[in-house]
Order: sequence, then C-alpha cells, then structure tokens
Amino acid sequence: MWLLPISLLVFTTLLAIPMSRYMAWIMDGKYNAPGFLRWFERRLDSGGQNWKQYAAALLIFNIIMFIYGYLVLILQPIAPLNPRGLGLLSPTTIFNSVASFMTNTNLQHYSGDQHMSNWGQIFFVIWNQFVSAAVGLCALTAIIRCFRAEQHLGNFFVDMWRVVVYMFVPVALVIGILFLQQGMPMTYQSTHEVSTLEAAAMGTTDNGQAKQQTLVVGPVAAVIPIKMLGTNGGGVYGMNSAVPFENPSAWTNFLTCFGMMLFPFCLVLMYGRMLKKMRHAWVIFSVMFILMAGTIVWAVYYDTLKPNPGLTAHPNTQTFQIPSASAPGGQRAVVLPAVAGLPVDQHLGNLEGKELRFGTSAGATFAAITVDVTCGAANCEHDSLNPIAALSPMVGMWINCIYGGKGVGMINLLLFLIIGIFLAGMMVGRTPEYLGRKIGAREVKLAVIALLVHPLMILGPSGLFAATDWGVKAESNPAAHGLSQIVYQFSSASANNGSAFDGLGVTYGFYNNPNPAPEAKAWDIATGLVMIFSRYLPIVAPIAMAAALGYKKQTPFGLGTLRDDTFTFGCLLFGTIIIVAGLLFLPVAALGPVAEHLGPIPFGG
Amino acid sequence: MKQYITKSLWFLFFSVVICCLIYPAILWAIGQTFFPFQANGSMVNGPDGKAVGSLLVAQPFTKDEYFQPRPSAASYDASASSSSALAASNYTLRNRVATALGPIVKYKSGPKAGQLVGPDIEVWFQKDSFGGQPHIVAQWADAHNSIAQGWVTGDPAHSAYVDAWAKSHADIVSKWVKDNPGTPQPKAADLAVLFFENFSRDYPGRFPSAVTETKNGKSVTSIQPVKEGSDIQSNFFDMWRQDHAEADLQDVPGDMVTTSGSGLDPDITMENAEYQLDRVASKWAQDTKQDPAKVRQQIETILQQNAFAPFGGLFGEKIVNVLEVNLELRKHFGAPA
Repeated sequence: MWLLPISLLVFTTLLAIPMSRYMAWIMDGKYNAPGFLRWFERRLDSGGQNWKQYAAALLIFNIIMFIYGYLVLILQPIAPLNPRGLGLLSPTTIFNSVASFMTNTNLQHYSGDQHMSNWGQIFFVIWNQFVSAAVGLCALTAIIRCFRAEQHLGNFFVDMWRVVVYMFVPVALVIGILFLQQGMPMTYQSTHEVSTLEAAAMGTTDNGQAKQQTLVVGPVAAVIPIKMLGTNGGGVYGMNSAVPFENPSAWTNFLTCFGMMLFPFCLVLMYGRMLKKMRHAWVIFSVMFILMAGTIVWAVYYDTLKPNPGLTAHPNTQTFQIPSASAPGGQRAVVLPAVAGLPVDQHLGNLEGKELRFGTSAGATFAAITVDVTCGAANCEHDSLNPIAALSPMVGMWINCIYGGKGVGMINLLLFLIIGIFLAGMMVGRTPEYLGRKIGAREVKLAVIALLVHPLMILGPSGLFAATDWGVKAESNPAAHGLSQIVYQFSSASANNGSAFDGLGVTYGFYNNPNPAPEAKAWDIATGLVMIFSRYLPIVAPIAMAAALGYKKQTPFGLGTLRDDTFTFGCLLFGTIIIVAGLLFLPVAALGPVAEHLGPIPFGG
Repeated sequence: MKQYITKSLWFLFFSVVICCLIYPAILWAIGQTFFPFQANGSMVNGPDGKAVGSLLVAQPFTKDEYFQPRPSAASYDASASSSSALAASNYTLRNRVATALGPIVKYKSGPKAGQLVGPDIEVWFQKDSFGGQPHIVAQWADAHNSIAQGWVTGDPAHSAYVDAWAKSHADIVSKWVKDNPGTPQPKAADLAVLFFENFSRDYPGRFPSAVTETKNGKSVTSIQPVKEGSDIQSNFFDMWRQDHAEADLQDVPGDMVTTSGSGLDPDITMENAEYQLDRVASKWAQDTKQDPAKVRQQIETILQQNAFAPFGGLFGEKIVNVLEVNLELRKHFGAPA
C-alpha cells in the first residue's frame, strides 16, 4: 500500500544526487566530448548570448518546432509507416496537438491508437518529447547563469545539443531496454489481427463472420522512456500508461513513475550545485518533497483506502432547502432518500478505471505524481477517481511547482520564492534580498506577471466554457463533476501537464469524421492557445527577472540578511505557496470536487 | 536573427536523425534480437498453432467453461483503448454495476444463504410496488430518464417496439407533443419515458424483453412483456435493493464489476477467479463427464500455478492472467462443448 510511494520517493531522491552532479557537469561544459561530437557542437554554436539573445534563440527555435510539427502531422496520410492508412486529423486538432507537444504539455485531443500512425509516433511524438523537454531545461540553465552573473549565458543551441544528446538519449536507451524486457512492443509494424480463443465472443461483423481482435503495436518502447523522462506524458495509446502494451507490469509502472520524477528531482539539486548553494537547494527540495508526499497521501487515502462512493450506502435521508421563485416562501425542499449499498467488495479501494497489475495504490500514487511533475501520463482514469481524491491532481496542477516540469517547475518555484522573500521583507521592514541582490520593483513585477498567467489562463476560460455550450455540451458527468471536467482540462493545459478527465468531449478525430464531439473545435483552439500563453510568458519573464536581479551588485552577507538555507526559510516558502495557491484556487475547488464529495451521490440520471 | 534560424534548422536536422532514426533503431535492434517475443507484442498461439492474442491484452470470454475478464469500456477492442470515464456521482456507474450484479448476487446469511437473489427480485417485481408506490417500471423510467432512453437506443429491436407502440397509441403521443412543443417530431428515444409509463400501466409487473420462440421449426425473436428473466433481475436489482436494504448479501469481488483504465486489463484478482471457480468447474465436469470435485481440484491447481502478485507481492494482492489460465484449461480439457 504505502510501500510503493515510499520506495519511489526514496529511490528517486537517492539517484537524483549523483545524477544532478552529472547534469551540472554537462551544463557547465566540463564534459570533453570526443572529437566527432564536438564537431556538432561547433556546427551549432552561434557564440555567447546575453539573456535577450538567448530568449530570442529559444523563441525562434520554438517557431521552427511549430512549423516542423505541423508538417509532420499534415503529411500523415501520404507518409510511410502508415499501413493502416490513417487519414488527416482535423485542422483544429492538428493545431492543438502541435501546440501541445511543442509546449511539453502533451494534452491529447486525438487518440493515439486510433488516430496516429507510426510515422507520427516517431517523427512527431518522439522528437517533440526529446526537444521540448530540453527547452525548459535550457531556460532554467539560463536563469542559473544569470544568477551567477556570468559574462554571457552560453549558447542556446549548444545547450540543447548537450541536454538531448548527453543526458536524455543515453538514459532513455537504458530505460527503454528495461521496458523491452518487460514486454513493451518495439516494432515498425502497426497491427496484429487475431481470432481470439473464444472467437465468437468478439461479436460478429456485418457479413456474419466472427470479429477479429486488432492489436495495435508499434515503437512503444522508444516512445515511453522519453515520454516519462521528459515529463511529456503523451502516450502511444489513447488510455496512455493504463494500456498493457504501454505499461505491462508492476515493474514498468515503478520505472515509469521513477522516470518522470528523476529529472525534476535532479534539477532542484542541479540548481544548488551550479550556484554552489546546496543547503539552499535542499531546503527547496524538502518543501517540494513534503508537498509531493502530501498530494500522494491525500490521493491514496481517499481513493485506495476508501470505496467508490457511487456504490456504497448513504444511510441518511438528506433534505436541502433551495431557493425557488415559484415555491411559497421562496424556498423549496429537495429530499434525497437514503441509498442502500451494492454488494461489492471494495477492500482494494475504488477499482473503477484502475488496472490490477500495478499494485493496490498504484493508480492514486501515479495520479498524484504525474501532476506534481507535470508529466500528464496516467495509469488510471482520473475522471473515475473518488471525488475528493481528484482534488489531489488538481492541486498539483494549480501549484505547478511540486518539482514541476523540466526546468519550468523550478522556475515557477523561483517566482513563489521571490514573492515570499518580498513579502517577508515587507513584514520586517528590510529590503528584500535573494542571493545577496536587492529585489526591486522590476523583479517583483516580472515575477507577478509570470505567476498570474497561470490562474488567469485556468479560471478565465473555465468560466467562459462553463457558462456556454462549449463547455456544457462537452461535459459527460453531471453537476459539480461536469464543472471539474472543464476546470481540469484548462488546468492541465495551463500547467503544461496533459492529463485529463477523459469523459470530456474534446475529440474531433479525422477531418472527415461524421460524428465528432460537438464542441471539439472550440476546445482544440482554446486549450491550444492556453498552452502557448502559459508556456512562453512564464519562461521569458523569469529569464528577464533573473537577468535584472543577477547583474546587480552583491551585498555582503550581514546580520540582517535573510538566511535562505534554514528551516524558517523553508516554512516561509511553504507558506507562500500554500497561501497564494489557496487564495487563487480555493473557490473553484469548493465548486468542483468538494461540492461533488459533499453533494448527493449518485446524482440524478 | 538569420543566424538563429540557420542554427535552429541545423539542430532540427541533427536531432531528427538522432532521436527519430538512430535512437528507435537501436532499441528495435536490441528488442528484435534479445526480446523478440516481447518486442512483437507477447503474442501466444492457440491449440491450432495460430496466434490467439497477446498475453498482455484482455480478450472477451462468454462461455461458462472459461474464466471471464473484467468488463471492458472498450468492448475489448485493442485498437481503441477506453475507460468508462464515469464519475462516482454519475448514476450511470451505479446502474451499470447494479445491472451486472442482479443475476449473480447471492444471499450471505438467513434461510436462503447461498441462493441467488434473482428469483426474489422477480417475485417482488411482479407485485409491482416500490417504496409503497405502484408501477415499478414507471417509477424506474421517471427517476432515470437517460437509462430508459438508453434501453430504447441500445437495440434496434427495442426502438422498433417503441415505434410500433407510438403508432398504435397516436392519441397519447399527440398529447405528449402538445406538452412538449420543442419536439414536434419525437423519435423513439424521446418517447422512452412516456412509453414506459404507459407500459407499466398496461402490463403491471411486466417488462418488455426479447423472447425467442420456435414457430414452424424456425426460431423467431420478438419483444414481449415478460415477468421474469435476466432483464428484470438486472435492471431492477438496484430498486429491489432499496426496498430490501436489510438483506444480507454476499459481496462480489470489486474488479468483477468495474471497468479498467484501458478496457484491456488482462488480469483478474484471485478472489474474482475463486468466485468464478464453481461455475467453471461444474461446466467442465459436465462437458468432460468427470467427477466435479476432481475437476475443481485440477482447476484450482491451475489457478494457483498461474497466480502472481505485483512486484513479487510487495505492492499488491494475487492476480491471474485470464488468457493464460484459459489456455491452460483448453489444453487440459480440450474444446468446450
């Protein structure tokens, strides 16, 4: 039960210590690559860049990524590796998918096994997963170099090369081999057709023949390592890591969890190593660790240790007074009768939407971790989590820096940190300082801008969609849960996470699909835009902030300096995160998962 | 600026070669060389030497001789994985589970311990009274409109039956159209609730269900009002349960009535397998004309030999792979009758 999350946290932390040392060594350019690799570095090097040039290079490269992604997806019908002859995705879905993979979100409005050929899986999915993860990591490196007040920030393209080739590819290869041994397919073939053992049980086709089972295979073992390591989350199959081919055993489930936690854990420590402030990094690490443990415990407690409330008894008759214009006294009583329980043994917790082979608490544990590190893979159906347990993944996305995604999680934490120090400085009446530099109006402004993008991009569109047909017609579950579905989708888009409450009708499919989800176009466009805004502003603004801060004069450490490596500082950081995120998101949490938990179950229908 | 575009294109080119050509090719070579079984989808062969499926992917079994996998929201379609995506608060979930439970639930204690509740549901249904009010079917359709509509749309024969009813009850339908001006041309599904309300009045204690009769040597299936059968046991188990909250029932293993995340979960829990063991064993005993106790013993052994637990038992309870066990049964006992 608790062994799985505990072993994951401990194992990843232990491995992150040497791994972060390796990463700092690579990013500091201390690795002396063999000659032929240095040729590539020289080929890519455009010289030292200042922060504006570095950011410009990053943005230009992302535009190229967008164009490349678009081309690959548009070419699907005529490209090779497509024996099933899958057609062209709808234009809005292509826009959404390109934005999604470019921004490291991997929100999938298409269904991998139904809509994407091996061509797309290899040239679109794998490529974006390697490269978009590296972009975030480079952004964090640039910020660190600003804080070190370096002459120039290095070169974006060389950094990208180092991250992809010296970090991601070797680790992905090792994990890929382990995955292969456990049963992940790795073939350029597309499908197997079989008559099952009891052939008639598959049903019959129109001409009376027994239906065959079509098994989709493909280069799964190549996609999944980088899907997890890059905290991407976009799977080969529609149901992602729940599908047996994508996650064949308890051991691969452990490895996938480990894979998505590894680099986010490392980056915090890499930050400390590169700034030579390890104690400070460990304080940040501990705050994140406690938050992550909290989300895991919450999810496991309410989902694995509690039964699905839809099937249990609710022995008390409830009466609610609701306002009604037509009723006498303006109040109408709604009576909800007591409900008897169904005879289902739920000692393994809520099993709806869960797989059995991963272990008892694996679904809830995975759900919490995948949002904390903004991976977005899922090994269970988040829509079917117990209502209050589903609060855990939502909180993970709202805070968005419980380790967080590649680089951007640590960047988000720096924003909270700057705000926290600023508030603390105001309270004691001293000039706030970070790393010995005074935090001025410009830095706080930039931090607040970057921080506010996230709630604006979640709450604004959620409100709009909840009030219109765009949202209402896409909901698949009643009442409060329907609102949760909308909020979850935008939270996932804005946090660049990519998991979803899958019942929401957002899939258009191929462009000639006669029966697409009715509001799929609106969802494609809205979440696509949200992903783009919520990715680049919170990358560029913090780089600008770090540049403004980093090149200030360093004041010597004195009696009045706020120490950034103490327990007190950890509490300050923890408090800032909880209070700021709480103020922003408590109301919507109350309307969604909390209301569903307290409200009548089952509801209507 | 122009320089950044050139460098971007160079990096694009290098990274596509490395990430999309070299990296998957290395894994492909390793997979096909050292793990060919896994790398090609863990396909297993059936008794005739042809592939019958993947050990990793669930496939449907309906015969009593076989262990049955968890219900699938994807209809076991391994090219379109899918979960139910039903929230706990969604009545559709509770209804789906109750429908699955009705025909299989047994009493746990009392004079009928060990017996199915199904016959009692039928007796209660025929009395046509729920919560002290008459007309069970009408109350059912009123409380769960979408499920009543689901009954109509779920089967072409059902909607044809409702259409035929609407034609012969034009007066009732035209009155309904007057009350619901938004739907001037109601389809069968729109009339579902109205249909069941009237049906309940016309045939108290009955439910429309498919009946197969033999006429002139030909079997003909038609929808008729029936007073017993699995439709009644399924659809009205939840209401029966509300009227009999005190009845002590045997719990059914949770994984037997819940759908998995992918719809393709190849395993069931050991409890689920044990729950199905009596049915499987008695059927094989009947097919092979062997001693039931001995057959049960043999199948129990097969189950124990194939059981495994996630991560050697550290992370979870014992499960069995359904296809693996059924292949063993097939090998051991031959083809089912």
